[in-house]
Amino acid sequence: MVAFTLNGGDVSLEIDPQTPLLWALRDNLGLTGTKFGCGMGLCGACTVHLDGAAVRSCSLPLAAVAGKAVTTIEGLGGEHPLQRAWVEHNVPQCGYCQSGQIMSAAALLAANPAPDEANIRQAMAGNLCRCGTYHKVQRAILSVAAVAHWEPAVEGEA
Amino acid sequence: MNLTRRQFIRNVSVAGGALTLGFQLTGCSEEPLLLGSETDFRPNAFLRIDTDGTVTLQIPKAEMGQGIVTGMVTLVAEELELDPAAIRYEMAPVHGAFADPEMRLQITGGSASIRVYYDILRQVGASARETLIVAAMNQTGLARDALQARDGSVISRRDGAVRIAYGELVPVARTLPAVTGVMLKPASEQRLVGHYEQRVDAEAKSNGTAQFGIDVAPEGCLTAVLLRCPWFDGAVESFDAAAASEMPGVEAVFATEHGVAVVADGYWPARQAAAKVDVRFTPPAEGLRDSGAIARAMAAALDGDDFASVRDEPGSGPEDGTLVEARYEVPFLAHAPMEPLNATCRLTASGCEVWVGTQAPDVARDAASRVLGVPREAVVIHNQFLGGGFGRRAAADNVAEVVAIARELKRPVKLVWSREDDIRHDWYRPAMAGQIQARVGAGGEVSHWRHRIVGPSINQQVLPKLAGSMLPQWVPAGATALAGKLAAGKDFASVEGAKELPYNFAGINVEYHNLPVPVPLGYWRSVGHSHTAFVVESFVDELAHRAGLCPLAFRRRYLAEDAPARRVLDAVAEAANWGKAPPGRFQGLAVHASFHSVVAEVVEISLEDGKPRLEHVYCAVDCGQVINPDIVRDQMIGGIVFALSAALYGEITLKDGAVEQGNYHDYPVLRQNEVPAMTVVLIDSDAPPTGVGEPGTPPAAPALANAIFAATGVRQRRLPLQLS
Repeated sequence: MVAFTLNGGDVSLEIDPQTPLLWALRDNLGLTGTKFGCGMGLCGACTVHLDGAAVRSCSLPLAAVAGKAVTTIEGLGGEHPLQRAWVEHNVPQCGYCQSGQIMSAAALLAANPAPDEANIRQAMAGNLCRCGTYHKVQRAILSVAAVAHWEPAVEGEA
Repeated sequence: MNLTRRQFIRNVSVAGGALTLGFQLTGCSEEPLLLGSETDFRPNAFLRIDTDGTVTLQIPKAEMGQGIVTGMVTLVAEELELDPAAIRYEMAPVHGAFADPEMRLQITGGSASIRVYYDILRQVGASARETLIVAAMNQTGLARDALQARDGSVISRRDGAVRIAYGELVPVARTLPAVTGVMLKPASEQRLVGHYEQRVDAEAKSNGTAQFGIDVAPEGCLTAVLLRCPWFDGAVESFDAAAASEMPGVEAVFATEHGVAVVADGYWPARQAAAKVDVRFTPPAEGLRDSGAIARAMAAALDGDDFASVRDEPGSGPEDGTLVEARYEVPFLAHAPMEPLNATCRLTASGCEVWVGTQAPDVARDAASRVLGVPREAVVIHNQFLGGGFGRRAAADNVAEVVAIARELKRPVKLVWSREDDIRHDWYRPAMAGQIQARVGAGGEVSHWRHRIVGPSINQQVLPKLAGSMLPQWVPAGATALAGKLAAGKDFASVEGAKELPYNFAGINVEYHNLPVPVPLGYWRSVGHSHTAFVVESFVDELAHRAGLCPLAFRRRYLAEDAPARRVLDAVAEAANWGKAPPGRFQGLAVHASFHSVVAEVVEISLEDGKPRLEHVYCAVDCGQVINPDIVRDQMIGGIVFALSAALYGEITLKDGAVEQGNYHDYPVLRQNEVPAMTVVLIDSDAPPTGVGEPGTPPAAPALANAIFAATGVRQRRLPLQLS
């Protein structure tokens, strides 16, 4: 049995602890917002947070999350400033990679509340998008970074 | 039922003149479609309004990121006087009413969706609006002129004192014959078309709730993976599933006509068990089984004289100009959409239900019906959001596979491809070779353009498959195969973009040689244009340099004064400050018309240790009337990113009949840290809208190659670019 915290709640699973977290989320817990893209940690579509850091859930065995906190796109709640920025900037095209993009961006902002364009290009290089939404991703993150920069007190995370 | 079949048909026939409303009753046997409840107002197959005012639109095209849902909702909302965000949308079921009016199939491709539905969907909205207004006239006794529709209500024009919500008018409206042939708003009165910027699916795609095919899970659904033969013409000879069957979670292991299916209670256990299956496949046939052999065969065909003429305009130019000649090559390409292929099937009493994100729901339906040996009407297709399409999801191989698995398993099942399955079992953009020669006179005049193209015909493979779903089921497969063979000799998908060379050179000759290969082929974003633009616009650049002219001036010289290509060239040149690149920057130019639109691009690079670094791409597009400007810009940028990925990295190679690449490490695509800045200029136009999904792609590769020539003096004649 592997027990961990998922989006703030306690869960435990009695499956092969070598099962990648991605498939535990999708097939066993019914959280399909996290996507399968490559299975090798190459594309970032499966990105979630493990104790606040961005990880590729397709390559992370369930055993590695025991006792830790996992946050998925569902856990961001829809009102996260990045999610609002994604809608406002019309970032998604097909949308398939966007859960992973947003989770990577959220981890970036948690570590660096005011990234510049170069920081963003580097931090987001692991998230592929075949539709080519990269510029919109940059712009949406920058818009939130600006808010974080000007009003650092809001989230208390400056 | 309030809308009787007779009434429905009358509405259809009234609309059958200038304004078709999109109804194609493709056979007498097909019943009209009546979705929703009997108390709804259903003025046509696309739209229904229920008594609480909810407006629901059937989307006849696939949403694969090109923004078609937003575009279609915008068109209907414009005439129906609603906020586009207030319109619910559903992916249309398979029905003749939703067949593309030109292709006669319910298929998304050819950048056609907005072009063919522009009038139809505005009429859908206008017809509903006018019918609701007639209902309000009946209810209030006011004349037509005294009423207008605004924000989901019919109101009295003068004082607004009368205000009746659409929902309240539904009980009356549904008893009326739909008003058709409505005069559409002039451009000056449009408040959404050309202005509406919010993508209506952005919210669901930003919070994880958007449902793609891979997310579907009907009650009791198992997961299957399929072990396919690595080469394309093999079948399962034998297999040993003893070890796999013992694995936890495994439900069944069996062979189908497509491979060995491993079914388990999740993807991971299925994939783990699949690794334990020992399977042998029948050996491949002799033939062109290696990329090298295919390239040699294409070169030999170019050396020969066996060509079909697709354009032959005799020239009058001088015979004594310098003969310029060059050969170009492009590789096989995979689509690699982010969502690996998948499909889910549940058998029903008479046939089955299939959940899948598909560009071609009726091709999918036909494929499923053939696997089960049931009539097409016994198959229900539930289309989903597509996690990228780019042409790959016009094929229904994934659907045939999952239905065959469900047929044996007799339980609901979802088939999920791995990324390796996707890269190794695509329907590839064919490898092609081309040779162009032309004469350049002392004054730069060009004559005797002769372009020879060699490569496999996509349509020889694909048309029979499409025709199979278009024709009655009793038409034998042999007849459709023959149609494909006939189409192959002058395959438009192989020569498009070369045949329509826009420059008025003295004498233009374009020829094609079909060289069949045992590799599945398909439509890849911009299809033939994806390679012909590279060859033509690179060679035009070669001619410009040979003539000693600036590439822009050279192109302008050979384009008519009013040519659309000239307009976009001028616009992109201005945006890019052409000819005045900053120090250390080098520019390349290309222009190409496709899917009724024309796009010019300037790629600006710098050199880093002698290697090109993408700095900025400028793009100007003339696509007629723009519906959603932000989406058009996105499609240009997306098309350019797609093209640059292929130009820099894209190459599928074959060894012993099998694809050598397998995932994003050996089939790389452009990443966030590699994309250049982009500027898109939309040309103002009130002409009817034309394509945007694909036309941004073709000019990018030649513009980049031409920039590399400007920077290094090295001419790139092969894709992916050879950058040592």
